[in-house]
Amino acid sequence: MTALHVAHVSKSFPGVKALDDVSMTLKPGSVHALLGENGAGKSTLIKIMTGIHKADLGEITMDGKTVRFANPRQAAAGGLGVVHQERNLVTRFSVAENIMLDRLGNHSLSSVNYNAIAQEATRWLKQLDLDIDPMTPVSRLSVAQMQLVEIGKALSLQSRVLLLDEPTASLTPNEAQVLFRILRRLRDDGVAIGFVSHKLEEVFDICDTVTVLRDGRNACDSAALKDLNRQDVVQMMIGRAERISKRAPRGKTTSAPFFELKNYSSAAGHKGISLAVRPGEILGLYGLVGAGRSELAKAVLGLSPQTGGEIVVAGKPVTIASVAEALEHGIGYVSEDRKAEGLILLHSVLANAGITVWRKLATKFGFLSDTTIASRVGPVLKKLEVKTPSLDQTIGNLSGGNQQKVSVAKWIAAGVKLLIIDEPSVGIDIKTKAYLHDLIHELAESGTAVLLITSDLTEMVDVADRVAVMDGYMIRGVVENDRNYERVSTAIMGFIHGRKAA
Amino acid sequence: MALSFTRIFDNDWVGPGLVSLAAIIGISIFQPSFLSPFNIFVLLSAISVNMVIALGQLVIIAIGQMNLALGAFGGLVAICFVAIMELYGVPPILATVIGLAIGALAGGLTGFVIARTGISAFIITLAGLQIFKGINLGITEAQPFYGVPQSVKDFGNLSMLGPIPWLVLPMIIASLGMWYLFARLRIGRYILAIGGNRTAAELSGINVTATIIWAHAISGLLAAIAGMMLVARLQIGQPTIGDDWLISSFAAPVIGGAVLAGGHVSVAGTFFGVVIIAIITQALVLFAIDPFVVQIVLGGLILWAVGINRLRELRVAKFNARTA
Repeated sequence: MTALHVAHVSKSFPGVKALDDVSMTLKPGSVHALLGENGAGKSTLIKIMTGIHKADLGEITMDGKTVRFANPRQAAAGGLGVVHQERNLVTRFSVAENIMLDRLGNHSLSSVNYNAIAQEATRWLKQLDLDIDPMTPVSRLSVAQMQLVEIGKALSLQSRVLLLDEPTASLTPNEAQVLFRILRRLRDDGVAIGFVSHKLEEVFDICDTVTVLRDGRNACDSAALKDLNRQDVVQMMIGRAERISKRAPRGKTTSAPFFELKNYSSAAGHKGISLAVRPGEILGLYGLVGAGRSELAKAVLGLSPQTGGEIVVAGKPVTIASVAEALEHGIGYVSEDRKAEGLILLHSVLANAGITVWRKLATKFGFLSDTTIASRVGPVLKKLEVKTPSLDQTIGNLSGGNQQKVSVAKWIAAGVKLLIIDEPSVGIDIKTKAYLHDLIHELAESGTAVLLITSDLTEMVDVADRVAVMDGYMIRGVVENDRNYERVSTAIMGFIHGRKAA
Repeated sequence: MALSFTRIFDNDWVGPGLVSLAAIIGISIFQPSFLSPFNIFVLLSAISVNMVIALGQLVIIAIGQMNLALGAFGGLVAICFVAIMELYGVPPILATVIGLAIGALAGGLTGFVIARTGISAFIITLAGLQIFKGINLGITEAQPFYGVPQSVKDFGNLSMLGPIPWLVLPMIIASLGMWYLFARLRIGRYILAIGGNRTAAELSGINVTATIIWAHAISGLLAAIAGMMLVARLQIGQPTIGDDWLISSFAAPVIGGAVLAGGHVSVAGTFFGVVIIAIITQALVLFAIDPFVVQIVLGGLILWAVGINRLRELRVAKFNARTA
């Protein structure tokens, strides 16, 4: 018996094969985990199931019948309810109105019968053990209650298949347990539940079967979870590279650390983080999605307040409250999301590369000439071999690799001593990737300390000197990188899932 | 008891309402003629027209957009209204219906273009402003139409009861209608839902395109009513009708607690916003104050209202950050 079956679905976007022959089976009365690292294809798969995207190949069947939903509305009407990661509630409206939003009346000028709506909503709230007045505005609810209201909304559409995209991301462990109790009851009532999460404990706690995606393919298709352990699942998520890195390990530097965190905690949730990067050293920061790596970088840059411990730069304890202050201490950050956070796509190459040095180069009266900037930025861009017709070219027109080079260049031009590089090779072809790796090495050779954040384990083994392993917003251990993929990956995995044993 | 007390003061109209009351009491102490029947009549006439204009903007603010073409709609309907009566002898009632249809059509068309192209309402209505104003000037050649029938003139200038002008009638109908629309009608709730969280509305199966068209058609309808009310009051089909609507059409809803990002509006609050603006303008005449002071006070009032709204938005943003 099958509630929802995804059969050999493929989907290409210009330049990328997002899904390649992916299959998955959801059964009534069972909770199915959909796992994979960022970019593995989970969201694309969900979007295809709910009709936001169309599959190029393959088909989706519900209860044995082929379905082709044109949009999420049709999917919902067809019995496929989705609770998205973002809150999709109108917070000023009441709980009842949110649950019944698509059923407020038969036509535009119908009067809304609030009593009837409240009554219908109460039915679903009861099912979810939510003892709240259905006329309460959603804005007064807790996050967990909102989550349940969304589930109630999906259920009220008679969903036989319920997809939950990271439902526990913003819940406390207690709230998550309440959610799980309800999910188990829904499961026992025969609902097929799809569960996307990055928290493996939860997956093992509540799910019966699992599909793992990696690079748009099935790493496993609807396997029984009881036959697997944590390590198997992690291994499937990150994959296993056969090759050994071509690069030889770099000589160790023994100079005093340029940047240190001592027992550092942040408001973002980091606890007791201690690490040190020496000049000329590349320290990798590895962890699964949700481990808190990018968040650590941003916290250190002053984007979330420090709540404990010490930040030490060049031997002196400092406080950093903003990116501008971080820059004064010689710390630069190449964002993982270069389009949204790193570059101003509509501006020229010169403006983007020069943005970090404007303050330094401006004259007393604030005048700033393009030639001054070009004289500072030009050589760096040349050294990085940025391929652009001119410095005036709009940066949005350059290739991803060249954009990435410019986002590195602007920090080099600013003369930073520590560069934090977050996921440098997302959306970049292999050749540019190799070039970027060389670039990072050159940077380190010239004495810059590098903190490299990446989810790509081969990249990590290829580039980093040492790898600090993060999980749950804490450092679990540090692995010396001898470029032996097998040994390093085993050691890293040991730190990530061995914490209960340890 | 305490709860209902705070509930009352939570309402958007209470602040502007108290300000209106204080202003009325204050001004009438210094200038008793403020409460003379004639002055009340003039004040109510102005409030009536401006309230309908403000409602036309309110419905667009509710959906999270803005309508710069509101005045152009009103002006076009106003001159068409007079033109068909003067040139073709169309009876006033039928002319009113045609005027309403033109307003709703112009609005609906604007809404259709916005919904279909996905271009921001700001740009589309800016273009609409030019186009409809151009049609207006093309028809009138910038000359007024004078052929307003006596019955229409009377509607705009006679009293219904004591100092209460007939013009309050369309305002009361429009206000109650819009209040009911936002509180009770499916279309009103959908407009607010889209203004509050467009993605949520879309994923819940609300037809966003149709709702946007509805909102703009209603806006055009209200602009048409206001345009024809002005014809009745001015007793002439002026091509310049609508030119000065823009600032106060935003000011009154904002003073009344509307969130410019959409999703939250108050009809009663807007009413007191209109009252405050009307009183300030009146005070100018009564106390023979320089006109520039009124401009400054009105500007300050808008800043104050927007400041309060901003505080609210920050509270919402903080809340969203907590739940994200």
